[in-house]
Amino acid sequence: MALDYFVLVFLASMGVYQIVSIFAKLDGICLFKQQWLQYIFGLLALVGAFGWFFTSKERNVQHTVEGSQQLGLFLGAIVASWVVTNILASIIQAKVDTRAVDPGEEKYYKLGIESLKTNTLIGSIMNNIRKARKDKV
Amino acid sequence: MPPPLSGWTIWITGFVGKAPALDEFMSFLASDFFIPVLICLIMLTLWLSQSDRFKREKIQRAVMNTSVAIGISTLGVHIVNAFWDPWPRPFLVDDPAIRESARHAAQTVFYYAHDPSFPSNATTIAFAAATGIFLGNRKVGIIVYVLAIGWAMARFYAGIHFFVDILAGVALGVSIALFICKVFMPRVEPFPSWAMNLFRFLYLA
Repeated sequence: MALDYFVLVFLASMGVYQIVSIFAKLDGICLFKQQWLQYIFGLLALVGAFGWFFTSKERNVQHTVEGSQQLGLFLGAIVASWVVTNILASIIQAKVDTRAVDPGEEKYYKLGIESLKTNTLIGSIMNNIRKARKDKV
Repeated sequence: MPPPLSGWTIWITGFVGKAPALDEFMSFLASDFFIPVLICLIMLTLWLSQSDRFKREKIQRAVMNTSVAIGISTLGVHIVNAFWDPWPRPFLVDDPAIRESARHAAQTVFYYAHDPSFPSNATTIAFAAATGIFLGNRKVGIIVYVLAIGWAMARFYAGIHFFVDILAGVALGVSIALFICKVFMPRVEPFPSWAMNLFRFLYLA
């Protein structure tokens, strides 16, 4: 049950990230160039995760996944899903070009998800490292 | 001795078995996994959804406050359970009319939960979440209140809580969330700001 719950949250949150990235303009986590593909992927991941979870087994049974464990699994799953989404987005680079940003020209270190509007996670981390090296010199 | 309004349990569990589609729907709503995951995904959506960084930080603080409120409300239920367990689950009471009706409902819609009945843990958590979210975003808060009411009523329908358990859960969840969001979190600054900075450093906020 714990593994199933983890998979449910992992897949559903991947769907959430793709749909939300459209509204939040987080191009750095997009897995697709076209918005409609993001919507479809997001909805399929969300509905599919819930559909699979509730149709694969009877879920209203006495189980061992207690409230605190559920919380831990939920947090673990959304962070794992965030990391996987960012790694995939950094590889695919569907909407951003990491080479277009010159770290030396940026005034500040870009941290947090704000930086994912114009760069991927790995691109942003690399830029910050490069900028730190330039600043030292 | 059964709790006040225990007759309502006989009334609502009397519907179980009469409309299989309604039973299925209530079974789905009462699940330990459907509405809690949905509420958490709504919180995750709020966490990321704002494009403007200032609006985003505001809503992220509300989500953080809500998360703390959920944690503290769970703790609150455990503390109440440790010192006061006034009555058993409806399907375990001495009154045969209540017991048999609730037993049939629990077997059909849910399962025989054996942790304390008072207050309803699910209702406490759901209303703490709804109140916390409502303070950050009214529209989404109302949606979560509707989900919370659905979850609570499904569990009442399933015969695993008395109506008083539900009411106590609502009171506990709302009051803890108001206390955490309005009093506690503003007073423990700068810890919430440090947490936000840490999340930002880790590219989570």
